[in-house]
Amino acid sequence: MSREEQPEEVIPTVCASHCGGNCLLRLHVKDGVILRIESDDDGKPPFRACLRGRAYRQRVYHPDRLKFPLKRVGAKGEGKFERMSWDEAYDAAAKEIKRIYESYGPESVMMLVSAGDITALHGSMGFYALLNLLGGYSHCWGTFSFEGGLFAEYTTYGTTYTRNTRDDLLHSRLVLMWGWNPAETILDTPTTWVLGRAKEAGVKLICIDPRFTNTAAVLADEWVPIRPGTDAAMLIAMAYVMINENLQDQAFLDKYTVGFERYKEYVLGAEDGVAKTPAWAESISGVPASTIARLARAYATEKPAALIAGISPGRTAYGEQYHRAAIALAAMTGNVGIHGGDAAGRSYAALGSFPFLQVWMSMIDRQVPNPLLMNLPHRKYAPEAYYRDPLWGYGTAPGHVNRFEAADAILKGKAGGYPADYKMLLMVNTNLVNQYGNTNKWVEALRSLDFVLILEQLMTPTAKFADIILPTNTFMERNDMTFGEGIPMYGFQNKAIEPIGESKSHLEIVSELAKRLGINDFNKTEDEILRAGAANTPIPNFEEFKKKGIHLLNLPEPYVAFKDEIQDPEKKPFPTPSGKIEIFSQEIADWNHPKIPPIPKYLETWESRNDPLAKKYPLQLTTSHFWRRAHSTFDNVPWLRELGPQHVLISTVDAETRGINDGDQVMAFNDRGKTMVIAEVTEGIMPGVVDIPEGAWYDPDENGVDRGGCCNVLTKDARSPGGAFCTSTTLVEIKKV
Amino acid sequence: MQTVFYFDQTRCIGCSTCAVACKDWHDIPAGPVHWIRVSKIERGKFPRVFRTFLVSPCYHCANPVCALVCPADAITKRKEDGIVVVDREACLGSSCGLCLEECPYRSPQFGPENDATLQKCDFCLERWLEGKKPVCVMACPVEALDAGDLEELKQKYADLKEEATGFISPVKTKPSIVFRSKPWGG
Repeated sequence: MSREEQPEEVIPTVCASHCGGNCLLRLHVKDGVILRIESDDDGKPPFRACLRGRAYRQRVYHPDRLKFPLKRVGAKGEGKFERMSWDEAYDAAAKEIKRIYESYGPESVMMLVSAGDITALHGSMGFYALLNLLGGYSHCWGTFSFEGGLFAEYTTYGTTYTRNTRDDLLHSRLVLMWGWNPAETILDTPTTWVLGRAKEAGVKLICIDPRFTNTAAVLADEWVPIRPGTDAAMLIAMAYVMINENLQDQAFLDKYTVGFERYKEYVLGAEDGVAKTPAWAESISGVPASTIARLARAYATEKPAALIAGISPGRTAYGEQYHRAAIALAAMTGNVGIHGGDAAGRSYAALGSFPFLQVWMSMIDRQVPNPLLMNLPHRKYAPEAYYRDPLWGYGTAPGHVNRFEAADAILKGKAGGYPADYKMLLMVNTNLVNQYGNTNKWVEALRSLDFVLILEQLMTPTAKFADIILPTNTFMERNDMTFGEGIPMYGFQNKAIEPIGESKSHLEIVSELAKRLGINDFNKTEDEILRAGAANTPIPNFEEFKKKGIHLLNLPEPYVAFKDEIQDPEKKPFPTPSGKIEIFSQEIADWNHPKIPPIPKYLETWESRNDPLAKKYPLQLTTSHFWRRAHSTFDNVPWLRELGPQHVLISTVDAETRGINDGDQVMAFNDRGKTMVIAEVTEGIMPGVVDIPEGAWYDPDENGVDRGGCCNVLTKDARSPGGAFCTSTTLVEIKKV
Repeated sequence: MQTVFYFDQTRCIGCSTCAVACKDWHDIPAGPVHWIRVSKIERGKFPRVFRTFLVSPCYHCANPVCALVCPADAITKRKEDGIVVVDREACLGSSCGLCLEECPYRSPQFGPENDATLQKCDFCLERWLEGKKPVCVMACPVEALDAGDLEELKQKYADLKEEATGFISPVKTKPSIVFRSKPWGG
């Protein structure tokens, strides 16, 4: 048939590229090639793709896609590889895995994963199952995105399903967008659309953020700049104003919470002699006392009001205190469990409509929990509620090593007090050299391992350190399912084209690798697994779902978290030890940890502007999410790169004192590393704060200076006592070069 | 009839999805050719900062000065819908460039190749003739863009303006775009 006779097909799929969004893409395919992409024309609300989804064609057909299995021939990190056949690759990987399990035991095997695509089937899940069947592995706990938020939700509410569906914001009178930037970071596809409509309907929106983000600029009525790591202080001072002016919803507090009196003692200063007044918070946060008082009054009186606690401020030292303080304030204003309010959880999961577990459980014939999980020393100070959560409880809470300390664990092993000596690292969809704290330490850690195996789509800075690379395909080359975190929807990713080169899906790879390792439990097809997974959801018709791409659940009204708990607390108590919202947590008190207080407290971070180190490195660094990437994904897509360089945002005053002009090449540095970026000089950032968005690809020169603008050469591989990842607790200096 | 763009400057979040969708749809490589651009306008002093955005496709002017100056008659304004189209075969190439000099919006685009011929936003003519709106309009995640007959748009949106922050509206070209504008401080 000639080209003209081949009809152009339009295949629906859903882009779920680790931004928390789910966007309809309609791929125009002809002769097996994606020619162009459309999105959602008429959906209400529209599940329209952002620039990332619209540029995906350049990602699928990127010249640097990994097309064959590769084995390392140069030094680790050098990036010299040789092509292998899949047979050779499977055999070589299986041989090394066997050798390490036999010689050093399962505890010497570490697995670190990320998402890339937030999908149900193709990803890390099968590999967890495989390693469990091989005898287990050393599990790392802690999620970068919102571990501080998880901690706060579990200890305060006893669950992580704390969010309303986005459309409920249309019922709010006031929305406090705290460190929350959906206009650039998505976090549920129509969120920005909904916020825009809320604004047009007269809802007042206020943005609290060190940066004048596009969310602040376009959606907010007011921008309140704040210093990083001080959000808890401002929230606690808002509590002070409410208590001092008797604005708190005392009836709500009496009925639904425990520990308010203890909190009040701390807030008023009875506990430590320091009244947490707006003036106290101003000196810490840089937010004028009058603004703090005004916002406190507004939040307490303009009901219903939604405090959306973004997860970014939680990525600081003691970030869990920020999240706990936000929840306490939502309870004090009685905005929990009502339309137009918000529980001020981590602004993430709402319905718990995950097909994840169903799909995962139906993937293989036999599921074995990690035999090592409880037998090796594991996480201390984990709230009991972690263990009950259907998704996060599955092996996450009692991990052996904290994910942010994994490089240190690899380098030091038992001698450094870690539970094992580590020999092998299996990585699935993770660019950890780039994305974990302290890049230079990771470089060392990866070089020290016996065997590094990675599944990747592109030659990332991390893949360069692998011994064997197994090339995976993208969501356009296989079938999978997605789901909305806070939007009641499911997505179907239809395979639109054949895999690029010899790349394969995660299911194909794990099934075949398992066979070579003597594990014969991966026998189901992609189609069988997805049908079985979908059968456990409210999707009525699988074929129709595939054809539409998106199945939106029709809820009679917006979903509101804790509505039942508020309407009938006798019948439905909160899933906490007390059955109430725990402003004071006895569970935490019992740990007796000085830096994990049982009530929310402001604890000054390390590397704050008052740290002696600030004399040498006076600027506080934040590592925001960038509008033209999803983490490190999309960084190499030309249509997105041309929209603007990797930058450091620096305030006009800080730039002037350093002789820096807009567009200058500058170096950001501290004792951990050096990185080169382009200065973007702006009035739209708190003086004393600079921002280097995360995700730019690490590209070291011969002197170890990163030329790629990777912020994590500067960040610390530390975690907060409650688990929060601390990338935005980092001091740096910037100079013109 | 004159088809026009509608741009709600109060809605635009500056994401450039319109620009990327345009490049994908028309298969334009990364590089100097942009049929539509999004520019940022920032004013004020910390902490009172104002920021807004402006889209710049070709505005398919009622009085297209580009067409008037083109020595090769390569630019035509279609009578039936007012869309300004280019005959790339007839264009004399970037060494001429009179259209670009004349256009106040720098809408005419030339590729990096030697003697590149003119290309620019064609209002997604192919889609338009199929009854579909331009791809930029259908791409906008916050529905800040629209396109259609001016009279229809007047019915659909209240209080249309011919001015917007950062937009030059020269009387002589009469650009075919109407706005909901975001004034400084507004």
